[in-house]
Parts: sequence; C-alpha cells; structure tokens
Amino acid sequence: MSDLLQAFGLVFQTDVLIAIAASAIYGLTVGAIPGLTATMAVALLVPITFYLSPIAAIATIITASAMAIFAGDIPGCLLRIPGTPASAAYTDDAYQMTRKGQAETALGICLWFSALGGIFGTFAVTLIAPALAEMALSFSTYENFWLAMLGLMCATLVARSSPIKAIAAMLLGLLITCIGINNPGGVARFTLGSTDLLGGIEPIPALIGVFALSEVMRALTEREPPKMEDRRLGSILAGQWALTKKYPKQQARGNVTGILVGVLPGVGADMAAWASYAISKRFSKTPEKFGTGHPEGLIEAGASNNASLASSWVPALLFAIPGDTITAIAIGVLYMKGLNPGPALFTEQASSMYALYIIFVIANLIMIPLGIVAIRLSSRMVRAPRSAVMPLILVFCAVGGFATAGNNLFAVWCVMVFGVVGFLMEKNGYPVAAMVLGIVMGTMVEQNFVTSLIKSDGSLVPFFSRPVASVLAAMTFAALLWPVFSWGLQKLRGRRVVTA
Amino acid sequence: MQLSDRMTGGAIATLGAMAFFYGSQLPPVPGQQVGPSAFPMVVGGGLVLCGVLIAMGVGRHFEEVAEADVASHSAPELLEPLPAWRNWLALLPPALMIFYALVSEPLGFLLTSAIIVLVGALAFGARLKLAVPVAIVGPFVINFIFLKLLRVPLPGGLLPFPW
Repeated sequence: MSDLLQAFGLVFQTDVLIAIAASAIYGLTVGAIPGLTATMAVALLVPITFYLSPIAAIATIITASAMAIFAGDIPGCLLRIPGTPASAAYTDDAYQMTRKGQAETALGICLWFSALGGIFGTFAVTLIAPALAEMALSFSTYENFWLAMLGLMCATLVARSSPIKAIAAMLLGLLITCIGINNPGGVARFTLGSTDLLGGIEPIPALIGVFALSEVMRALTEREPPKMEDRRLGSILAGQWALTKKYPKQQARGNVTGILVGVLPGVGADMAAWASYAISKRFSKTPEKFGTGHPEGLIEAGASNNASLASSWVPALLFAIPGDTITAIAIGVLYMKGLNPGPALFTEQASSMYALYIIFVIANLIMIPLGIVAIRLSSRMVRAPRSAVMPLILVFCAVGGFATAGNNLFAVWCVMVFGVVGFLMEKNGYPVAAMVLGIVMGTMVEQNFVTSLIKSDGSLVPFFSRPVASVLAAMTFAALLWPVFSWGLQKLRGRRVVTA
Repeated sequence: MQLSDRMTGGAIATLGAMAFFYGSQLPPVPGQQVGPSAFPMVVGGGLVLCGVLIAMGVGRHFEEVAEADVASHSAPELLEPLPAWRNWLALLPPALMIFYALVSEPLGFLLTSAIIVLVGALAFGARLKLAVPVAIVGPFVINFIFLKLLRVPLPGGLLPFPW
C-alpha cells in the first residue's frame, strides 16, 4: 500500500504532469499527420527524454505512443491511409463508414473503445506482471536465452513478409550488436580500427535512422497523400454507449485477445488488431458486412490493439523483450534511466512500477477529451504541408542522434547509415522491425547464450533438459517451422481443390 | 531501389560468410571453450543459410500474399508509379545528414540546419514563400529547445544563438 501511495507521489509532480500533457499533444499531432507513424513519433521523442527524470521520461513515451496510435486512426478513417500498422486491419471498415456519412461514429468508436481497451489492458498487466515476475525470478540463463529466442522468432513470424527475409533481418540486427568491445571476451570486434566503433552502435541513433530518416527518404519518392476536406462532424461520443451495450461480447473478446497477444514476447499491437478482426469476423452473425463499414470488427480490433499496447509492456519490463517497435524504443529508455528491465524491477522498485500503471490509466483517460479536440481539429492539422514538416524532421534526426550519443557527431553518421539500410530493406521486403528487435536484444541474447555454454562446458544438453527451458525451446522451434507448415497446408489444400 | 532477391540474398550470404570468418579469427578467452567468437560465428552461419535460401527464391510466396494484401487495403491512386527520377531524390536526406556531420562545427547549428530545411523543403516541392520562413523559424526554435531547455551543446560556429 505504501508503494502505491509513493507511486501517486511520483506521478503527481509538476514535471511529470507537464511531460504527460505536452507529449499527449505531440503524439496526437504527429499521429494525425498521414505518413508520420507512431514509432517515428516515439523515436524522435527519445532525445528529449534523455534530459527528463526517469518517471517523466517513461510518462512521455507511454502517453505519446498511446495518443499516436489512436490518432493514426484519424487519417485511416478519413483518407483510408492507416496511420500505424496497428490500425491497418480495420481501415477499410472505418473508411467505408466515413463514406456512408458516419465519420463521427467511426472516429468515436476508435477513440472510445481504444481508451476502454487501454484501461482494461492496464488492469490486466497489474495482475499478470507481478505473478510472472515471481516465476521469472527462478529463471536461469537457459530459460532467458530461449525466451529471447522465442521473442525474436515471434517477431519474424508476424512480419508480413517472407519469413526467411525476416529472419535474415533479425540476424543482421544481432550481428550489429557484435560491434565493439561489449562482449564476453572484451575484445574489439568488427571495429575495423575505428575508435568510434569500440563502444558499439548505440541503439537510439540506429532507431532514429531506421524509423525517421528512412521515412523521409520514402516520402520523397512517394506521392503526397490527398488533402482532407473540411467536414462537419456531429457528436463524437453520442452513439458510443449504445454500441458498448450492443456489442459487449466483441469488446470483451477484443480486450482479452489483445492482452494475450501483447503478453507474448515479440508480438504487439499490429498482430492483436489483425487477429481480433479475424476472430470478430469468424464469430459474427453477419460476417458478410465486414469491410463495408460495419462497426463490429472496428470495435473488437480497436479495443484489442490498445489493450495489447499495455500488456506488451509485460515482456518488455520483465525480460527486456519488446512486444513491438515502440516498446523496443521504450526498453532503450528504461536502461538509459537506470530502470533496468527484469523481475527485480517488480520487487525492488515496486513504486516505479505502480507509477507506470497510473500513467497508463491517466493517458487513456485524457485520451478521450484530447482525442475529441484532435478529431475536431484534424482537418486543419492534416493540412500541415508535408514540404514544411519533413525537412524539420531531418533536422530532428541529426540533433536527436547527436544528443543521445554523448554529443558525438559519429551518431549523425550512424543515423545516415541506418536510414539508408532501413530504406533499402523496406523497398526489398526485409522487415525493418525484425532488425530493430535484433539490435535491442542482441547483447542480452549473446550474454545468455555464452554464459549458458560456459556453465555447461560447451554442452547443448542443459538447453533442452530443464523443464521450462524445454517448453520454451519447443515453442521457439514451432514458431520457426510454422511458415513451412502453413505453406505445406496451403499446397495440400490447393491440390485438393485442383483434383476436386 | 528495388533489387532482385538474388542480389540481396547474395549480399546477405557474403556478409554472413565474412562475419563467420572474422569471428573465427577472434582470440579465445584463455581457459574457456566458448568466447567472443561463438556468437558472430552462429549469426554469420545463419545469415549465409538465409542468404542462400533468399537467392533461391524460397519464401517468395509469403511476400506475394502480403503485397496483395497491402494493395487491397490502400487507396488506388497511391499505388500509381511515379516517374523514375523521383527514386533518386531518396539520396537527398542521407546526403543532408553527411552535410550536417561535416559542416555543423565550422558553420554552426543555425546556418547548417537552415540550409538543410531550405533544400529539403524545396525538394518536397515547397514554394520559396513557405520554404524561407520555415528555414528561418524552424532551426531557431529547435536550437532554443535543445540548447537552452535541454542544454545540448549545439555548435555555435559562425552564427551563435543570440542569447
């Protein structure tokens, strides 16, 4: 109880509250501009969190990401351009509702059920995380190794691309973390004689390059999104209570699916939304209405992606395994702020954890009034000319890299290189998110791998003989072999259709 | 910038082979079987395997499914191809990063970033009426936030921040 009171004390401080308010406005603005993603919003925010207190820093990340994910629904709904991959699953339905003249209901659903899902998810996290933390305390390096591998494998599975390319991208990320002297032998690896590379590649400049610079590069090669017309919107929350009562099962199922998907290491909001949309369609009484502007799937998937946003912090906080690209960035910030992820965080710094939950609830609560304002102003916000916003993002890329890596111009070179790498990968079907997970988790994977091998004298047997480790290993191999299995199944079905 | 799978797969396999070879040359930790060479060798080996499979076109099927899915979910006018010269514009942002890394110390933050914003805005098709004010106000505000509020030592150069 005293931890909880202490947590309230940590959150209700002027700097934290200002940080929450400012990052809420920032997140809504960036998310609402088509072409700017929630991940980009968070990546560009990191240099600023560097100079904040730990709780204020985490608060900015949580608030900005929740707001940007919701605001990403606005261009999706009005222009059919999904703001984030997480809202792509239901963009069709939302856009069709807009065309039927129900834009305010569609946006209201996105807002209302996102907020409910987020709050529901937060409460689930408060229950699940401490229980899992107890269990995680007994994990050794073998279990941690398999857990990290499982996270990496799941991340490659959900990448909507060739699984082999995803694994290659992930391995590339792991290889990048080999650079420098931060390894079991303390020898300089892959430094090519450069002193700047001795310390390794800092993840944040790499993330800024991959998520911000490469987006600017892509925008230059792509057409400008269509302008949003001025639209008179009716009351946004008016019909929502009726919808909540009409579709209670869909909403609850969306919340639960989102929470379960989010807790899985390496899988986040995108997967939750796609899965929930599919489940909703499968169990609906009117599946033929899906994709034509039907609120049912929108409710379930919208609730699901925000619920998973909260629960994807569970693997991130317990095992430093990100659920998605946003928590990947958040893990970097946690380390930077001395809140090293791990089960000990829950036992030794319980008040910080409670503070985190409180921030989640606050962020989802203020999302409703601020979201309404954002929807009302959206046609004006979206009109911010791309030719003015994108060049400023370029400057932020340079300054952000410079500021996070100890005021070193080498970081600007890193931003440049990773921007080019990210751009080329994206164009050729290599999922960038998989590489980012590799970069964030590489050092941990190597440490657990090498320590385990040293403990076992080079034998691989203990990797499989311990009970929890063997289950995790089986799950990892199942994730690895799943694409082969699904491909075979499709082949088989295709043949049956041909013969029939 | 769309390259063939054979090229990207080959590049990945080569990179993996180099990592494997480089890793195998690393000095071991005395008295231990496993050292700094283990991880790069495992990762390098994995990259060689993936690279060869990609070059052979394995897994292409999944990409086609995903691409068709994306196409069915986006507005048709956004999928129309743009003229080929637009692809070369993608080189501008990295070039501007190099420009920043090279000249920000002598020139100072305000001038460097004003040039970057001006060039960037014009490349995005802005008129001078918009590009010039953004290039003056934007860097000034960013300089204020980072130098005064966050105390990041941005270089002053020829034109230091006025207060």
